[in-house]
Amino acid sequence: MPRKVLLWAVVMTAVLAAVPLIVHDTFYLRVLTEAVMWIALAITWDVLAGYTGYLNFGHGAFFGLGAYTTAILMGHAGWPFPLAVAAGSVLAAVAAFVAGMPTLRLKGAYFAIATWALARAVQQVALILEITGGPDGMRLPPFLHPQFFYYAMLSVTAAVFFLLWYLLETAPFGLKLKAIRENEAGAMALGLNPARIKIQAFILSACPAGIIGGIYAYWITYIDPASTLGDLITDQAVVMAVFGGLGTLIGPVLGAIVLFAFKTYFWAYLSDYQVLYLIILGALIAFSVVFLPEGLWGSILSCTAKRPQLSKAFHPLETKKEAPEVPNA
Amino acid sequence: MLLLPQAIVDGLLIGGIYITIAIGFSLAYGVMHIIDFAVGEWIMLGAFLGYYLNQWFGWEPFLFLPVIFLAFYIVGFSLQPLIHRVLSGRRGNPVLMGLVFTFGLALMFRGLALTGFGFFSRSISSALAEGSWFFQSGNFFVTIPVIRFAGLSYALAVTLGLHYLLKKTDFGLAVQALAQHKESAGLMGINAKRVSSHVYGLYVAISAMTGTIFGCIFSISAQMGPDLTVFAFFVVVLAGMGYLAGVPWAAFLLGFVQSFFLIYLSPAYTLLAVFAILYTILLISPTGLFRKGV
Repeated sequence: MPRKVLLWAVVMTAVLAAVPLIVHDTFYLRVLTEAVMWIALAITWDVLAGYTGYLNFGHGAFFGLGAYTTAILMGHAGWPFPLAVAAGSVLAAVAAFVAGMPTLRLKGAYFAIATWALARAVQQVALILEITGGPDGMRLPPFLHPQFFYYAMLSVTAAVFFLLWYLLETAPFGLKLKAIRENEAGAMALGLNPARIKIQAFILSACPAGIIGGIYAYWITYIDPASTLGDLITDQAVVMAVFGGLGTLIGPVLGAIVLFAFKTYFWAYLSDYQVLYLIILGALIAFSVVFLPEGLWGSILSCTAKRPQLSKAFHPLETKKEAPEVPNA
Repeated sequence: MLLLPQAIVDGLLIGGIYITIAIGFSLAYGVMHIIDFAVGEWIMLGAFLGYYLNQWFGWEPFLFLPVIFLAFYIVGFSLQPLIHRVLSGRRGNPVLMGLVFTFGLALMFRGLALTGFGFFSRSISSALAEGSWFFQSGNFFVTIPVIRFAGLSYALAVTLGLHYLLKKTDFGLAVQALAQHKESAGLMGINAKRVSSHVYGLYVAISAMTGTIFGCIFSISAQMGPDLTVFAFFVVVLAGMGYLAGVPWAAFLLGFVQSFFLIYLSPAYTLLAVFAILYTILLISPTGLFRKGV
């Protein structure tokens, strides 16, 4: 199964890379760029939530950190784009390390609330500071080249996907994370160092989000605390990952594609009913938690999985049938 | 310095409302271990029910509190089986699945409210909103708006009522037993599902009533939910999750933080301070100021 999925992922990436050669409509390219961005955010969120069992409700803060770092370095210091994005990703990684050290000691719901509070605090700081432009946000020099941004997003997302695939699905690192998710004390008893592994997972999840944020800032050319550091970034990533299936890499990708396609369709054709989107989104999360606890991909897997077949020589049910019935008195 | 008495009184008056925002939430967490991201939305929905009842009948909003209580009690009571299903699922990490579930509910309620009530904000008109008491001695003076005093009285009444219910009745005993140990409580003949449904109904009803009071004092809008969720989380975490006796102190602390920032610093820093304190407390003592949380 994993081999087959990996093959599909390679084919998908190749197809996506070929799209701009055929499609010249900038609208569709723009939609695809954003879809790829959400795939990256959903899978990086899933590293910590699905594999390690720590719900990070502040994922958007790393995205915003990358975006703001890129914007400040390009706008105020005049750095070139690749350097600024690299600086943003390094800063996101450092922030994950510094914030993760104390925060990752918290368990379950406490961790969720703490990361959420931290992300909202970062948003408040961006609203107050001078250098970030406060509530007015920041503008970047426009660079109108849709293909460039499409390929930038796609290459980063593909690189992140295959790196995570290697680390989580084939290397022992994924097993270590799952061990922590299932039983942290047990993992420690096996000789693992949960504190270190959790920090590694946190950085692995935060750093790509910073890169994606940096590309997003330069692509959209305008960022402000409400749109870039607000709850909505985290919320959508969470919804996509949960709807697609936590604890897998394919699940969040699937969830991101389905939900983003839905969202785009909604905004394009039903824009008069924009708030309806919130209702449907909320109902979808609640529905999938209650009725599809494994997510879309998990349900597909459990439907198609081959049930173990018992050989005819040993079939306890058959022998039971042949047992003589006890006649009624 | 002249404003100090006013800052303290304001803190007390605002803090009173925060007790009732958080106390039901803390009760629900203590019994069912659910973190309800929708707490702010319940308050918002209650506020709008109060607003429309007030518009239609034109009576004093405080008179509608029993109606709101009953309506939302039924809603919460009938919603609980779904939450029970999520929390007792076979998938690992049921607490986190509960968190995600209520998060979905919150989005849905916010969307429904925005569709039904629109984006603009309004306030519930109450006859009490006009009066205020003024005290002066020497250079110090204090103003107490009647409506805020009524809000504080409501909060204290709810707190005392809940205290009576939990400490003096059989139902309260069952709730305490359930919070202590679910399986043992079941062995003693307590219907965990039924009691949890009542607790959830109680929590939703208290939050909704608070919404109406909130709407009389401040203004209400369909987007106000997340901010109230922030305050509820702050109070409950500081008090210790599930530790009801800590809630009033934490709520007054939040009231003081807010009134002092408003008077002495800039209101722009209030939310930052709230998040910073919340985060620091979680790191230093995740079980709250009194170290009594679960």
